[in-house]
Amino acid sequence: MIGLARAELLKLRSTRTALGLFIVILLVTLVPLTVLIFAVPKDWLETDGVSGFLNTASAFVPLVLLVFGILGMTNEYRHGTITYSYLVTPHRWQVMAMKLVVYAVAGIVTMVVAVLLVYVVIRLGGAVRGVSIDATGGSTFGDYARQIVVAGLITTFGVALGALFRAQVITVAGVLIWALAIENIIVVLKPAIGRWLPFTVFNTVSAGQMSGGGADAVTTDMLTRPQAFIVSIVYIAIVSVAAVFISLRRDVT
Amino acid sequence: MPVIKAEHLSKRFGKKVLAVDDVSFAIEAGTITGVLGPNGAGKTTTLRMILDLVRPTAGTVTILGSRYRELHAPAARVGALLDSSGFHPGRSGRNALRVIATGAGVSDARVDETLALVELEGAAKRAVKGYSTGMKQRLALAAALLGDPEVLILDEPANGLDPEGMLWLRTFLRKLATEGRTVVVSSHVLAEVEQTVDDILILSKGKLLAQGPIHELTASTQPVVRARSPQAEKLEAALISAGAAVNRLNDALAVRGPSAAEVGEIAHGHGIALHELLTEQPSLEELFLQIAGTRREQ
Repeated sequence: MIGLARAELLKLRSTRTALGLFIVILLVTLVPLTVLIFAVPKDWLETDGVSGFLNTASAFVPLVLLVFGILGMTNEYRHGTITYSYLVTPHRWQVMAMKLVVYAVAGIVTMVVAVLLVYVVIRLGGAVRGVSIDATGGSTFGDYARQIVVAGLITTFGVALGALFRAQVITVAGVLIWALAIENIIVVLKPAIGRWLPFTVFNTVSAGQMSGGGADAVTTDMLTRPQAFIVSIVYIAIVSVAAVFISLRRDVT
Repeated sequence: MPVIKAEHLSKRFGKKVLAVDDVSFAIEAGTITGVLGPNGAGKTTTLRMILDLVRPTAGTVTILGSRYRELHAPAARVGALLDSSGFHPGRSGRNALRVIATGAGVSDARVDETLALVELEGAAKRAVKGYSTGMKQRLALAAALLGDPEVLILDEPANGLDPEGMLWLRTFLRKLATEGRTVVVSSHVLAEVEQTVDDILILSKGKLLAQGPIHELTASTQPVVRARSPQAEKLEAALISAGAAVNRLNDALAVRGPSAAEVGEIAHGHGIALHELLTEQPSLEELFLQIAGTRREQ
């Protein structure tokens, strides 16, 4: 299993996909943040302007990680590398399980690095401009921890979805449309149903991520955070088990 | 004990496509076995069933005494070349092999060794998307050899190779067999493997038509008598009336049925001049056509 884990990590390191998506994450967070710090009046920086921005910018990170997870699995089918994966490890559940674990760790590490870089940029920017900016954006350690956990969960969810629906473009487009549009509409129109939907559940766990909203997104209509965490794990478990079951029965032609 | 043993193996895709139909065979150790047949004969499906990539609808297949998935460290015992496009195009050739090697517990030194073996060390750091078809084929062969396996299963390894590459492959396969490895190689170009294989399995439309040592199968089939005559048309008519099967192209005839001596007698009897008369063992292609034709008649 250690060899399998090392092979998965090597897969991540040896193409530009992971690096490209990490650069996208930096672009949607650090570049606008840097511009914001150096372009707006000092007194605005000392209010909660930065925290509002951080909540909006960080909403994109889980979406990028979701796509990262989907690509991680669908690329195996798209390029036919799954054949070698199964030849080396014929017990297919092991391939799937290791990919879920490795991508969860990669999602967590990416989020930790993104959070740290945001912190560093705010500190440096504040020092250069001679103002004191609240680098936490009003967030507590618990908020960051939840964001990091959700990053791992959502990357894993992406991998499982990619194993279930192999068609890369259709899966990425379909999932993004669902996460950004359809699910939000259901939440607004039918909150009793919407609160149970996957991306709303992830959003509830991190309170302020995915599909917009901030801490105030956790309303009385939403699940509590512990409930949402359990439901998100159930979602991942169901999709992962289905993906393993299908991969065991699927012919690699 | 055979290295690979298939019993009543069948594979149906959906309700309409019966890709492999009740195929049984045994492949002995240390031989090069050709799995031959036209496109759509069921060769690839059969090989993938051996490797547990495709689930048989019926029947069983074992390799080295057990199912592929039950082998301990399978990549070290069985090497496979199934599809030269099975590499991420953005990954370098060396990294593509390292990914497989790492999962199989094979060292980076062995990766470099196999790259040298297939003469790709100069292109090892280039992205696979920049490789020619022949280079990808060599990379896939290197992937099959990573674990230094005792059994090699190669599906259409000559695809995309130029004549020089094909000669290289033939020499390479022969070298592998002399090292005591068992090699199973499929091809739809029969002439391509004729000089390489010891045994053959002939598949057509999912059915196994023949199996055995190539020299025995070709010896058991009718030889072809080649004749050339300035009166070819007249000779053709005489031979047909004597019950022979004849194909004529200008002044050349391919005759099945009578021996060369009998063809000479018939020509002499009709006062026909002959410029050439010889007996040829049928090529693998002709053998296949004869076997396939016989089966159709049955």
